Amino acid sequence: MSGLVVTGWGAVTAAGTGETAPAPLTPVAVGDRFGELPSPAAPVLADFDIRAELGRKGTGSYDRVTGLAVTACGRALESGSVAVDDLTRERIGLVLGTTVGGFASTSDYSRDTYVQEKPYLVNPLLFPNTVMNCAAGQAAIKYGLKGVNSTVAGGPLAFHQALGYAATMLERGYADVMLVGCAEEFSAHRAWQSAALDRTGPAGEGAAIFVVERADAARRPDAPVLAEIPATASAFGGDDALTACADRVIGEAGLDPADIAGIIAAGAADHERLGLRAAPLHVAEWYGHCDAAAPALGLATVLGHPDAVATPALIVARTPDGGAGAAVLRSRR
Amino acid sequence: MPDVLVTGLGPVSSIGIGAGEFTAGLRAGRSGVSEITSFDASGFPYRRAGEVTAFEAGELLDRLVPEEWGRTSSLAAAAARLAVTDAGWDPAGHEPGRAGAVVGTTSGESVVMETVTRQIIDDGFAGMTPDVVGKLPAGRLAHGVSAELGLTGESMTLATACSAANYAIGYAYDLVASGRADVMLAGGADSVCRWAHAGFHRLGALAADVCTPFDRDRAGILTGEGGAMLVLESREHAEARGARPYAELLGYGLNCDAKHPVAPDPASIAECMRMAQRNAAVKPAAIDYICAHGTGTPANDAAEARAIFEVFGPEPPPVSSIKSMLGHTMGAASGFGAIAVSLAIAEGFLPPTINWSTRDPELGDLDPIPNTARETPVRVAQNNGFAFGGNNAITVFGALT
Repeated sequence: MSGLVVTGWGAVTAAGTGETAPAPLTPVAVGDRFGELPSPAAPVLADFDIRAELGRKGTGSYDRVTGLAVTACGRALESGSVAVDDLTRERIGLVLGTTVGGFASTSDYSRDTYVQEKPYLVNPLLFPNTVMNCAAGQAAIKYGLKGVNSTVAGGPLAFHQALGYAATMLERGYADVMLVGCAEEFSAHRAWQSAALDRTGPAGEGAAIFVVERADAARRPDAPVLAEIPATASAFGGDDALTACADRVIGEAGLDPADIAGIIAAGAADHERLGLRAAPLHVAEWYGHCDAAAPALGLATVLGHPDAVATPALIVARTPDGGAGAAVLRSRR
Repeated sequence: MPDVLVTGLGPVSSIGIGAGEFTAGLRAGRSGVSEITSFDASGFPYRRAGEVTAFEAGELLDRLVPEEWGRTSSLAAAAARLAVTDAGWDPAGHEPGRAGAVVGTTSGESVVMETVTRQIIDDGFAGMTPDVVGKLPAGRLAHGVSAELGLTGESMTLATACSAANYAIGYAYDLVASGRADVMLAGGADSVCRWAHAGFHRLGALAADVCTPFDRDRAGILTGEGGAMLVLESREHAEARGARPYAELLGYGLNCDAKHPVAPDPASIAECMRMAQRNAAVKPAAIDYICAHGTGTPANDAAEARAIFEVFGPEPPPVSSIKSMLGHTMGAASGFGAIAVSLAIAEGFLPPTINWSTRDPELGDLDPIPNTARETPVRVAQNNGFAFGGNNAITVFGALT
């Protein structure tokens, strides 16, 4: 299968809308806008205002993760000079990765069935936010994208799986251009979940979406290649799956393990088993625990700050229950 | 490019568990709807759903310890176990990375979400416990299947709402057809839950007692649940081990309405049908049966019928909705549809739309196969799936050649 090239990207991170962090972010005092939190500071984009970013039309019911994803998507389309019109809109696809969609939206909806006077006195306008494909569906409406539209619920592995999905859609001819990325919102739910799971450091948030095309396809003249992802793999089976994925993508990229100069991973536990002598960027140290968004934020950071990680780099992810993935990144400098 | 065959079926449903019971249920036009017992429905005006009350995870799972997984993962894994048993295929020792699982879902571990919400209500956010939140990620659905069967390939959960099983079946098809996998478990799973019941009720989409798709007086959905998993296999691999396939998966089509968060768009649905047929290399005239999305809401059935006439002309094939029997099983729905059309092709019968009594003049000459299954050969069948977010996915199956 042909590798992928990245020809555009958009991100919303705690460093700012359209910004990535040049170095690990300092958590900011969040105040009470997210309710009671396990710690008073977190790496969040405190002044993110959905309607200031996206306007009022159609955004009234957006929750935070939808706002982050749709904003990043718009910026990616612009960055990649993707022309969306009646000739192209059915051939531009979108695949987004998540863990549970909007944790706060879904839990709050469930909560209302218990605390309201009647269990059915829930808000009908917010029901779509409880479904995990909400962000992808809203991005499609906002930008008129009528082609492939998928949502991968993979948690830490979602980005690798979404990359594989995007590559497959392009390879099999269902799309000519794919937008691929992940988003997680900060919320009391995610912050306390992190605490319950005994993680060190706060939860974070962010969205990063990339325009990807087949490496062997004709280049669009106004969309230069920003980076290459020559190979991606995701699989199941713990340590063995991780090793198999890493070996496979390094080999498919025509490299040896010794060529890998950098690592992008949520944390050390994701890659230390591979024993690679390469300088890692641990996304959780830069942006807080960002679950599905971590690898994508790492990639966006390299695009925004090329010195953040040396390339060729290996993007690595694992899930607690045995999922694993690896992808090779080469940047064009 | 390898042909992709359906070699095993694993339905965990309210009308039957296992291929034999499910077939009997479809043929008999059995209803799986009952009074809700999985949550306290006393505060709701409507209290019926398609719960799989007979589901005992411990009886169906070989490896997974049920207490360690949410209900939806257990449904998916149990369905997958049934499917590989039905296929007569032992996953053990399969070449690493070449057998995997793709599971579609609408709400993932929806009951776990309720449990964690109750923890928050009772004890505040600090009341969330690691054993509960650890079961929450929807990715666990696919990983439950992979862990139960010892699969080492792709292990992916696609959360594209009520068409998700078709997305999963389609992606699994791509992996086999492109030579990257030999065998894939694919389908969908979801659990009945209080908040989805409330949400659909509040949208005005819930019916009181029965689901009556394509009936003039149809009033909406009943929520349902289940696990619907299929074994998809390359022809080469199937023939080498002497498998007995049900049908061939000919192809699928995907698109997005990009118009409204919940209301279906007939033009976009029609285009998805054409896309699926093109990808499957079949003409409308070759299709003998459509397994409808057929939720039973006024809006869906009208939009779906309109799209069918647009694509098939004035004399479309017969169309039935198995949601009349199962209720709306959400992410599993198009998986049950895929199982139903595989059986329809293999055994030569059309599942009925039950609870049907009054023709809807707005739906023209649509034949909904009212109330009674029909014995007839089925060479090609189309399996529809539509969803919130405009996520349309349609799979096309054909008789073995």
